[in-house]
Amino acid sequence: MTGFWNIGNEKLSSSKLTSLKPYFYLLPSLLVVFFFVGYGLYNAAKSSVAVEEGQPFYYHYQQLFQEGVFLNALAVSVWVAFISTAVSLVIGIWMTRRLVRLFKQDHWKFIAWFPMLIPHFVAAYIVFLLFAPSGWFSSVAFQSGWLENMSQFPLFVNDPYYIGVILTYIWKEIPFVILMLLPVYQEMDMRYEDVSRTLGGNGWTVFKTVEFPWVWPVSLEVFLILFVFVLGAFEVPALLGVTYPKMIPVLAYDWFYQAAWVNRPLAHAMMVFLSAVSLAAAFFILTFAQRWRSRWAMRREEA
Amino acid sequence: MIFYRKKAVQAVWFTGCILLFVAPVVLMFIKSVSFGWSWPEWSPDQFSLRAWEVMFRDPALSRSLYVTVAVGVSVVLINFLIAVPSAYALSRFSFKGKGVVEALLMMPILIPVLAIAMGMHLTMIRLGLTDRITGVILIHLLPTLPYAVRVLKAGFDRLSVDWEEQSAVLGAGRWTTFWTVVVPLILPSLRSTAVLVFVISLSQYVLTAIIGGGKVLTLPMIYYPYFNSADEAVVAGFSVLFALLPIAFLIVWEAIIKGYLFVIRKP
Repeated sequence: MTGFWNIGNEKLSSSKLTSLKPYFYLLPSLLVVFFFVGYGLYNAAKSSVAVEEGQPFYYHYQQLFQEGVFLNALAVSVWVAFISTAVSLVIGIWMTRRLVRLFKQDHWKFIAWFPMLIPHFVAAYIVFLLFAPSGWFSSVAFQSGWLENMSQFPLFVNDPYYIGVILTYIWKEIPFVILMLLPVYQEMDMRYEDVSRTLGGNGWTVFKTVEFPWVWPVSLEVFLILFVFVLGAFEVPALLGVTYPKMIPVLAYDWFYQAAWVNRPLAHAMMVFLSAVSLAAAFFILTFAQRWRSRWAMRREEA
Repeated sequence: MIFYRKKAVQAVWFTGCILLFVAPVVLMFIKSVSFGWSWPEWSPDQFSLRAWEVMFRDPALSRSLYVTVAVGVSVVLINFLIAVPSAYALSRFSFKGKGVVEALLMMPILIPVLAIAMGMHLTMIRLGLTDRITGVILIHLLPTLPYAVRVLKAGFDRLSVDWEEQSAVLGAGRWTTFWTVVVPLILPSLRSTAVLVFVISLSQYVLTAIIGGGKVLTLPMIYYPYFNSADEAVVAGFSVLFALLPIAFLIVWEAIIKGYLFVIRKP
């Protein structure tokens, strides 16, 4: 199990057994992934194309895209996922770059990571506690004389624009953004900042010319992970959403358990469609991030 | 002068972070120990432990507390068992198809778990894994394993091979080297993995609901029906419980690690 032996073996002999070793170590994880992701997705796809005689195999997908309920769910899901991911990314990057410069040591990170210990549905409750018409902000607004009764407080939870859901995700994902970006900022060569400052660059120029090439590929990956997660997560919209329009996971869960399982193929079709979109997005974003990284690595070596 | 200004800015940012990330959880805790705190009072005037008594008198809650911890700890242990070798292989070896393997191991966080749980539902029924704790533990591997591999791989990347070589030079076998050199050095990553995996397992509602079929009652299963209940202090207490569990887990973890290090340090 030691690196010493591995290096030694690789140098001295290239026996079949040694070269198979990493695959052997990876086998259990790969089996779990194959069993669940491969087989699970295969089953879901199979159920989504199980049609009665005389119908084309894409029948359920056709049905799906003629269903206004689905199209609205798709729209509201993309809206929530995009806004909450973009906002947490921007705030997360801004906080990281300020905090890294402000504090020599990074003890602050334990405070910033604190929300990661809280499950998403508890974060949803916190948002409810603060932003509901009967919540804490509403109470404070009443005490300050800004409103006379509860119903004057704007609707932030269980609202058709999913503001409460978005707030929950922002609160939960900012720490994740900081967690992913902190190592990037700590490894960054800050002497470039001095160069930029000496040449008269302001904060924005420094970010654009010094930090951006490092931050951009990681941001893309974080955006992908968060966007895809919010698109497919059930827990928060189930608590803070509304009955119409539902977000896709909530709608899929409803259809999956509807009486006599009539809508199960539709639920499968919807989730398979979502998986395909997520995979395609992942492919493009990761390829792009990889290219960006190698291009910048080359440029820096040339300099 | 500039020095004091920096101190002031630091203080502002520090307070801001506390207000944004910690204060909401504290508010939730205060709510759980308040008595008769309702709109439009902005702070409670009476305190009581009533909500906590109500919670722990409920036998369903103590039973599901037990189930939740059993599931969480099992998921952490299985993750260690399969993620440590994988992370080690990804960090220390270069081999054909490494990129593909890494991409495959990230799949469970790129594909909605709901799609997979729905697809697996009938198969899990046939295999007799639904409605029981085994199935729930297995399905919880899905959202946790990619993070476990990622965090541990980063840990191995930071850990120099020199220490293992040193140990081998001194005549330690692979097994001894692993338990007395690699494990103690990789402990920070193991701790992050354990807490992260435990919290993710604790946060699962829909996977447990589908595979557990409403028979495996983890805490989230009884939390959801509670959410809109009129007894706000009880819901708040229940929510605080979710924040306390990872902290309790961390304390137990540290105690076990102290014991482990004590044992291996003995000559």
